[in-house]
Amino acid sequence: MRPILLQGHERSLTQIKYTKDGDILFSCAKDQIICAWFSANGERLGTYHGHQGALWSIDVDPSTTLLASGAADNTVRLWDVRTGKCIKVWDFNTAVKRVEFNEDGTKLLAVTEKRMGFLGTIVVFDIVPDVDAEQTNERALTITCDESKATVAAWSYLSKYIIAGHEDGSVSQYDAKTGELLDNFQAHEVDMEIKDIQMSPDRTYFITASKDKFAKLLSARDLSPLKQYATETSLNSAALTPKKPFVVLGGGQAAMDVTKTSSRQGKFEARFYHKIFEDEIGRVKGHFGPLNTVAVDPLGRGYASGGEDGYVRVHHFEGAYWGFQ
Amino acid sequence: YDSADDLEFDDLREQHNVRLEEGLDGFVVVDGLPLVAPDAKAKLQKFLTGKLSTPAFKIKEDGFFMPFNKAGDKSEGFAFVEYQTPQQAIAACKAVHGTPIDRRHTFGVNKITDIDRYGREGKINEEYEPPKLDEFHEKEHLRWWLGDSNSRDQFVLYRGDGVGVYWNKKRDNPEQIIDRQHWTEKFVQWSPLGTYLATIHIRGMQLWGGQSWSRQTRFPHPYVDLVDFSPNENYLCTWSFRPIEVAEDDPILSQDDDGKNYIIWDLSTGRPLRSFAMYDLATAPEGPDGQPVKKQVPWPAFKWSADDKYVARMKEGEGIHVYELPSMKAMDKKMVSIEGVMDFEWAPATPQRDGVKAYEQLFCFWTPEIGSNPAKVGLMSIPSKEIVRTRNLFNVTDAKLHWQSQAAYVCVKVDRHSKSKKSLATNLEIFRVREKGVPVEVVDSIKDTVINFAWEPKGDRFVLITTAEVVMTTAVPPKTSVSFFCPEKIKGAGVGNFKHIRTVEKKNNNAIFWSPKGRFVVVATVMSQQSYDLDFWDMDYEGDRQEGDNKDLTANLVLMNTADHYGVTDVEWDPTGRYVTTGASVWKHTMENGYQLFDFKGEMLREEHIDKFKQLLWRPRPATQLSKDEQKKIRKNLRDYSKDFEEQDRIEEDKEKGAIVDERRRLLSEWMAYLQREREEVREE
Amino acid sequence: QEHQETLARRAIIEKKKELASDALQKKQKEEETRKRIIAQQRQEAEANRLAEEHRERERKRMKDEQDRIRRENNENEIKEILKKGINIGDVDVKELDSNQLRLIKISQLEKEKNDLSKNLRVTGKRIDHLERAFRKEEIKLLPQNYEA
Repeated sequence: MRPILLQGHERSLTQIKYTKDGDILFSCAKDQIICAWFSANGERLGTYHGHQGALWSIDVDPSTTLLASGAADNTVRLWDVRTGKCIKVWDFNTAVKRVEFNEDGTKLLAVTEKRMGFLGTIVVFDIVPDVDAEQTNERALTITCDESKATVAAWSYLSKYIIAGHEDGSVSQYDAKTGELLDNFQAHEVDMEIKDIQMSPDRTYFITASKDKFAKLLSARDLSPLKQYATETSLNSAALTPKKPFVVLGGGQAAMDVTKTSSRQGKFEARFYHKIFEDEIGRVKGHFGPLNTVAVDPLGRGYASGGEDGYVRVHHFEGAYWGFQ
Repeated sequence: YDSADDLEFDDLREQHNVRLEEGLDGFVVVDGLPLVAPDAKAKLQKFLTGKLSTPAFKIKEDGFFMPFNKAGDKSEGFAFVEYQTPQQAIAACKAVHGTPIDRRHTFGVNKITDIDRYGREGKINEEYEPPKLDEFHEKEHLRWWLGDSNSRDQFVLYRGDGVGVYWNKKRDNPEQIIDRQHWTEKFVQWSPLGTYLATIHIRGMQLWGGQSWSRQTRFPHPYVDLVDFSPNENYLCTWSFRPIEVAEDDPILSQDDDGKNYIIWDLSTGRPLRSFAMYDLATAPEGPDGQPVKKQVPWPAFKWSADDKYVARMKEGEGIHVYELPSMKAMDKKMVSIEGVMDFEWAPATPQRDGVKAYEQLFCFWTPEIGSNPAKVGLMSIPSKEIVRTRNLFNVTDAKLHWQSQAAYVCVKVDRHSKSKKSLATNLEIFRVREKGVPVEVVDSIKDTVINFAWEPKGDRFVLITTAEVVMTTAVPPKTSVSFFCPEKIKGAGVGNFKHIRTVEKKNNNAIFWSPKGRFVVVATVMSQQSYDLDFWDMDYEGDRQEGDNKDLTANLVLMNTADHYGVTDVEWDPTGRYVTTGASVWKHTMENGYQLFDFKGEMLREEHIDKFKQLLWRPRPATQLSKDEQKKIRKNLRDYSKDFEEQDRIEEDKEKGAIVDERRRLLSEWMAYLQREREEVREE
Repeated sequence: QEHQETLARRAIIEKKKELASDALQKKQKEEETRKRIIAQQRQEAEANRLAEEHRERERKRMKDEQDRIRRENNENEIKEILKKGINIGDVDVKELDSNQLRLIKISQLEKEKNDLSKNLRVTGKRIDHLERAFRKEEIKLLPQNYEA
């Protein structure tokens, strides 16, 4: 599996997203820039300029029309995927840590940071999936997290629930219409932040990645734990592969704890686990720093990882992968 | 199993905490007695009275009372005895407690006031029952672990605050036998034959054993830092940097022990035999902060002879104190004077020497150049103090003594300087202890400085590591070379001269780990910041000889495999020489702590990352009970055994595989059912 | 008058003579320059030729040297291979090129590795079985050991 190395960012990666057909890859980083790439050959399509702070999160709608982004400059922006034009800016009191479109691209959620007396919130906007349409300023919903701030959030099947992961290691289920907190479950060790949540293709279950070195599979319906994957490093990201029952995990010791010895270089690994049997299948080395984000091609042809080292590595699965049971 | 709180020594202290009250201080309770019928009472009483009286403590007239059970047909197995004074009662407890009555019974002697105290604490009910002290239990079989039907070995794992003991299961997760939080406060250590697990606490050291891992003995040496067992587990030496402060009512230590650093103990009774202060304490130089610098303490300071009959300590430059065990009296009432002595080592086995029938113990020592006298290496036989051999050496900077495990050879690694004292070179002076007149063979073909040397256990080959550069604490470790030596083949009996087999250059290796059974050796780079190499060598490869290696040598060297373990600090062979563990201990650094398990040929079987991993120690095994003939017979019939084992392994493997497949099938069908259910529910919504 | 004319003619003749001589001189000069240039060109051509020849020789020498090294290497390797008694089939060893040799060598290394792992596996099994056989017999002695 020979990776394509995408060199376009000058600082550490924060999130990667594939389009629905898997042809294009979006990446954002702390260098305030969003990049779009052809996943097949790694050629850069373009960049999206405008944010005045580190980017934390991006998402592309299912029709590859609109791109949403959240950043440390306290804004969420909406972009025309084709022209790269910024078509909407929403302002907030604090940084935006996560954005995600729902299944049909008609709603957008944003997770805001808790800071300077402002509590962390999850905000929902109604979206018109058309680049020329006027987008509303009005918030369809505001959920305030007064217990522990949300760090990540995602939409369930039928946009019925919003699932949030918290700083304290717990997972919440909110009614996506009323914003009512339906359930909260201490999925991970107490005070071990949840760094990523990614939904299954049918959005009935999701995978979490936490600093407690575990990734867990939970039901979106009732937050019941389904599977768990034990690693020996703190995790930043977890993704589910379609077609094959695998999960891809990314993480690594924070930069401070890692020695700068040559023998460790390039040894930060993406880890593959069997989704159902929970055992480790293999690792893919290459990054020079912890993996901050992993994403899988929705058609299951490959995956991409973004590292603290500023690189995106795009991998295309080969024969051995498909042969593995 | 006692709870963690019980690990403290408070109970020991309290048990002996004398309080004058109710005039009962002269009474003791004698326990562990045989159960007898009333007609045997008088006879037993007479027998016991004799055993419980000495000139130092005498039983009061009519001071013996032995209760019987309610039916009156059997004694209860204990008796009350009143001594003439409370002091005598205390003396009797100390002297008689724990000594045997006959083959099957052991005295338990305790002051009645102590037992009363237990009663008051509500530990016993009104019906008087003898206090249940460990000593009265049927001794557990301390060697139970040797009887594992799967021939597995144990190791102890100390990580975080917990200590666990496990069965090694090769590739599979080890099977936990026991796990206790806060079992130790400093570290753990096995006794040399594996009988006991030692835990180290602020208040002393404890030994645990048997299948229940019950406490066997306690050694209340406060602030103990290090412990060292005699080779046959009869004695042990504890050391604390901090001199002992003995409390007036200390039940075990006496005022003689006050201010001392070392205690030599009788292992089975837990009684101190003698204590000693450190030599260099008074002369320790002061550091810049006015505090004495913590000097590197020579350890072990007290060295045991191979037969547990002597323990000796060197007084640098003057001589060697040899003490007889168990009396701990100085042999011949004085120090063995050796002017200038720098170091000494006992032979690790009772030496067999040509033409010598009397089996004496032997130690090797060396003295530097003094005035016009040359440096010397000597072998002294104990107790005769006969000098068996000496050898003069010149231009000696330093010397290290390396005994071969069966005391067949002692290799003296001599660092020599040139006349100008500039360049260093190493000579090996190998004393062939078993041969007539103890001939010395010199290996002087080594140009560089030898930084490490190790004999093959039970063998006659050795490995050494040299470096041309001066070893300094620089960021880049010096390049090293690894050299292998063995005797050449000769006709007839005996061992030929030592010859060089091969040298591997441009390495970073700094440590040599021989399999305890010999033949295999791991040459590693440990405690390094840059390299973590593990080279697995076979000295008797059963295949083609490597090109260039001499055919007339008693070795066929091959590099079986190389591996690396990031941050490796420790390497340990299992006692059978089938497995090797490498550890990265949090005591040395905090990067990727944990351990890896290899087989002897360097194939990694499993790895485990463990936060705050500290120690992994294989449980040692005593020498085999099988006679030479029995072993020979087994070797001869190995084919038959092999057949059984292979069958056994195959069944086991099939079972495991089957279990895995079944488990997977179950998981898969469960998952499918779950998805199906979910899909239907979503459709409904 | 006549004298005047004569003088004038003379002057003209002188002048013509002078011109002719000048022209001649110029012509000669040009001729010389031309010759010099030709000579120079010839020289250069010669030098070039020599250099080319030298280069050619050097090239040939290098090639010969490389060939020699390659040949020697091949021979060494062939020697090595023959020494190890490896069966390389029915080929003339002289005919082998370095690629073929490399292949043989790789397969040889592969074989050595396989032999090593096979031998060690056998060794490992024996060690394991011997240890287990000892223990199997030793367990029988264990209760006795406790009585003692």
